[in-house]
Amino acid sequence: MFSSKPNNEKILKVFSGIRCLSKDQLPRYMEGRLTDVEKHLVEQHLTDCDLCFGALQALEQEAGNEQYQDLTGKLQRYIQDSIQPVSHVHKVARYTKKEKTKESLLVYFWLVAFLVIGVASVYVLRGHLRNQPPPRMLASSQPPAADSATAPAGEVASQPIVTAEQPAPAPGHQTTTTPASVKPAATTTANTPAPAKPTPLPAPAATADSIARAKAAALKAQQKKQAADSLRKAQALQKQQDSLKKEKEKEKDNDDKKPEPAPAPKQEPKEPAPPKKENPQPGEPINSDEYLYRAAMVYQQQGNLSEAIDRYKRIASNSSGKYAEMATYQLAICYRSKGQMARARRMFREVIRMDGSLKNNAQQALDSM
Amino acid sequence: MHQQLTNLSDKELISRARKQDREAEGVLMDRYSHLLVAITLPYLDKAPKPDPNIVFPTLLQRLSASLKTQTIYKANEWILHIQKTYFNSPDKNIPFYPSRDGRDLLHIENKVEKAGTNIIDRQDLAVRLEQALGRMNADDRDLITQFYIDNKSFADLTAAKGLTREKLRNQLKAAKGKLAKLYMNQGYV
Repeated sequence: MFSSKPNNEKILKVFSGIRCLSKDQLPRYMEGRLTDVEKHLVEQHLTDCDLCFGALQALEQEAGNEQYQDLTGKLQRYIQDSIQPVSHVHKVARYTKKEKTKESLLVYFWLVAFLVIGVASVYVLRGHLRNQPPPRMLASSQPPAADSATAPAGEVASQPIVTAEQPAPAPGHQTTTTPASVKPAATTTANTPAPAKPTPLPAPAATADSIARAKAAALKAQQKKQAADSLRKAQALQKQQDSLKKEKEKEKDNDDKKPEPAPAPKQEPKEPAPPKKENPQPGEPINSDEYLYRAAMVYQQQGNLSEAIDRYKRIASNSSGKYAEMATYQLAICYRSKGQMARARRMFREVIRMDGSLKNNAQQALDSM
Repeated sequence: MHQQLTNLSDKELISRARKQDREAEGVLMDRYSHLLVAITLPYLDKAPKPDPNIVFPTLLQRLSASLKTQTIYKANEWILHIQKTYFNSPDKNIPFYPSRDGRDLLHIENKVEKAGTNIIDRQDLAVRLEQALGRMNADDRDLITQFYIDNKSFADLTAAKGLTREKLRNQLKAAKGKLAKLYMNQGYV
């Protein structure tokens, strides 16, 4: 193998690519003014290349070397003349095009930037407007809360403690606690009783406003706010508990007195209530149902589902008609949020069976489960 | 820029010319302009006596047009083809396509070029070529050995064999083609 290596390497020459004869190689080959190596390379190339061999033959036959030189020079000049200006023009065109695209890109960028800024500002403004009412509502609802702290806050404060410390109070107690529980519910649900509580003076404007808002605001959006408000309220109330322990004692002592102040707030929320609930002026048991229901709602919003379920069950078993249906429906929702789907389904079915105003809602909920 | 372009290979220039680089196209045309003039000279003296001021720009235009559309393996073959079609059938525009033999040659040339300085590849190629050479007939083998390996010139060979230069060249070309064919068909033997 190694002995034949020189030969081996040389044989590759047969297929080595060699460039065509250059402008000065051609006449030099014709005149025999090439070195041996160069001559050999040229001949190797001539074997393959028809163009070079044809050129060589033509030049040898013609012997019109002058014409060849003349035409070659002219052609090369022609090529250079036709290429270079074009290439220069081409370059300029390319440069201007590049600049133009740059500019247009910048324009697009600023357009997009302004659009984004505009959209963002609109979004922020809308968010700001949407978030503005709560502070106003708080502002309007907090002074009453402060006011109510003096007179009825004791009742309000008593409510969570009574339920927390005594989960199953006597029925008499219930009636006494329920009016208290109205206040957080009422203040949170639609702010309707809130302005009614402190003084009747701002009532007409405030109630009209609050009713419109209650109608307009979607339940979900409101529920969130309500939850937040009620939590805040609850915290505030718990703070007040310490200072109002004396009053609590008084309340416990003076159970007889409570029904007396209770009717007053009871009737006040009733006045804005009719457009909402269309309740005929009901008697005592229906009122207690309503209070129970609202208290249960508050528990539900606070996340105390077991307490809420307890209340709802009581409403559903004791009363009949609208509140029983609503309580069953809420019971189903509570079960659903607790993850007890079978029970929730049963409750929804019961609501459907009752054939009331919530039948469609229950059917939808049942379908989506 | 121009200086840099003149050092580039045909392949590179062609690929640049395809990308609208007029300068590369100009360098490529310039590189072959003298050969184009030389092979066109006999036609300029023939019967219709065409005007070189028309012939060459037209030829250049044709070359430029086909440069952008055709697959060009070897610039010299492509230029010759365009020039021949222009003079033999001026109305037609026959696209250039290398023959089967031409492709065999091209394939082996590419292989040799690719092997470059890789000793293993080169050895492998050389051994296979030697095998192919061994299977050629004695006349062709002698011719190839004398011309390529013993470095004998056209003049020496024509004197020794009593052939004209053209005939010798044709024989060498044919022998090379046979060698390429043998090499390519080696896998099937």
